[in-house]
Amino acid sequence: MASAPLARSVGEAVAPSPRRPAPMLRAVVRRADVVRWLGRTGAVIPLAALVFILVVLLIESLPAIRYNGLHFFTTTVWNEGVSYNALPVHSGGVYHMSGAAFGALPEIVGTLLTSLIALIVAVPVSIGAALTIVERLPRRLASLVGIFLELLAGIPSVIVGLFGALTFGPFIAHHITPVIARNVPDVPVLSFFRGQPGSGEGLLTSGLVLGIMIIPIIASTTRDLVRQVPILPREGAIALGMSDAQCARRVTLPWVGPGIVGAVVLGLGRALGETMAVAMTCGVALSTVPGNIYTTMTTIAATMFNYLDTAFLDGTGFAVRTIAELGLVLLVITMVVNIAARWLVRRVSGIALPVGRGV
Amino acid sequence: MSTQADPAQPAEAAGPVRGRVDQAVVTAPHAATAGPVALTTAGLTLGFGTRTILSDVCVDVRRGAVTALIGPTGSGKTTLLRTFNRMNDRVSGYHRKGDVLLDGRSIWHPGVEVMELRRRIGMLFQRPNPFPMSIMENVVAGARAHRLVGKAGMKDVAEKHLTAVGLWGAVKDRLKDSPFRLSGGQQQLLCLARALAVTPEVLLLDEPTSSLDPAATQAIEELVRTLVPDITVIIVTHNLAQALRVADRTIFLNQGRMVENGETRQLFEHPAEEETAHYVAGRFG
Repeated sequence: MASAPLARSVGEAVAPSPRRPAPMLRAVVRRADVVRWLGRTGAVIPLAALVFILVVLLIESLPAIRYNGLHFFTTTVWNEGVSYNALPVHSGGVYHMSGAAFGALPEIVGTLLTSLIALIVAVPVSIGAALTIVERLPRRLASLVGIFLELLAGIPSVIVGLFGALTFGPFIAHHITPVIARNVPDVPVLSFFRGQPGSGEGLLTSGLVLGIMIIPIIASTTRDLVRQVPILPREGAIALGMSDAQCARRVTLPWVGPGIVGAVVLGLGRALGETMAVAMTCGVALSTVPGNIYTTMTTIAATMFNYLDTAFLDGTGFAVRTIAELGLVLLVITMVVNIAARWLVRRVSGIALPVGRGV
Repeated sequence: MSTQADPAQPAEAAGPVRGRVDQAVVTAPHAATAGPVALTTAGLTLGFGTRTILSDVCVDVRRGAVTALIGPTGSGKTTLLRTFNRMNDRVSGYHRKGDVLLDGRSIWHPGVEVMELRRRIGMLFQRPNPFPMSIMENVVAGARAHRLVGKAGMKDVAEKHLTAVGLWGAVKDRLKDSPFRLSGGQQQLLCLARALAVTPEVLLLDEPTSSLDPAATQAIEELVRTLVPDITVIIVTHNLAQALRVADRTIFLNQGRMVENGETRQLFEHPAEEETAHYVAGRFG
């Protein structure tokens, strides 16, 4: 097609050679079709991938959903049935081993509790760290700390898990939790902190390890947000005689409040789905809902990982279907948390936050 | 844009340096504006890093009057203003000689609590800077921080000060709304109400109308006149006509030096210094 202008643009006015691939490619790109289609494809991929994963999980877990029913969410037993010298049973249109019964209550509770502990630890630390880095530290030290924060985010979870299982868990079990476990009064909420401290594998260790893992995520995002808060309202607060803490609480943090909620959700998503570090520190107790904060437990992700080998031994494939159902539950929990956070953000920003916050 | 928290030790510099008396105070006492002195700077020299912004500034600011700070860009007006409530203390590389006295006492005296100082010396900025909270919470934010008002009294305090700045009628039905939906002028009035709600003795205005339209500018100027003599007002302005309109007294700064300090009309019509005459004439053409 338009070879003459092309040749001119390449700077070969004397002998135009339209066959050369580079100018031809450039012609296609310049027509912008490629870019436009690349963009369109890119825009559709996230949605398509999510739908695809959901559908596949749903199809895989359909038999399990049908057989396990609502009991899946209320019972604690985890039993793939009799595997040796027994024929598969056919009930409810599903083949499974005789006596198979699955209840995911401990896994669901464990997932939510570990993530809750992680948030309780990580959110104040992260926000404090972000404020300190932006407002207190000299520029060079701040960037150094920032680099370490990002390095911390990049540590493989298996390393963090190992640290939790070998060092951190035993340390708190020997030196910290016994004191708490013995001295906390036996009243409703606090009795959750009573009990046998154990050897360091369990709910508290897993939650704290998760907390360590999500601190860098929340802190570095919050730091970037706090940096964007304009100086003028902050100076206004200081000039009004507010302390730094009051300024942070009433002006700086609310200014980027929705963003901080987003950062926390990012961390929460990581905590809910984190597998390896939890699997290494939770103690893998499949069929009990945690009765106190020290007890061994399990989460959805850790169970899926730990149990998969065993599940493949089930000749009917039903145990694997149940694993898929667990995965579906985890996915739904994560999505619900995300949507809830979005709703929260919209509500918060609707009431107090400025429309044109750019200033 | 982060506030640098360098450990600038304000109190260790020179103590009160007395004995320097402002020439203009002695030579031009005007009955209308001659009152007791609220703020005094004594040999104030101040800079950031290697730059010196103010050199040996000695001025008196009369209580209950409006004092304008005028001077070309870079003359140190804003720096001087921000020194009065110690907003410069944490800027990196800040260094200072000389002193500032509020009611005869150094503002860097160890017994002076900086937050209480800033309650007594309020400030309004070049551009409106509402906080990300409702209109009512904005007005009482400072008062709440200083525990001057409890949760129950918030609405009364908000009404009182919004009325004082003439904003009550416009916002009384939307106290829970975001302040960022107000116009620029209304936002600035809101910030003024917020500053007044902590019952300051001195109010520092840093070119408060530079981002506002003429009508809002006029509203602010008229308000400023109503604040005196209860509150001592110091206003930095680039607009000489504004200084002439609102200020009882005017201080002319040039290149970090205090050139002239006197009654406004006197300074504009019969400046004692040639520099002042040039500046004032240049602007009036």
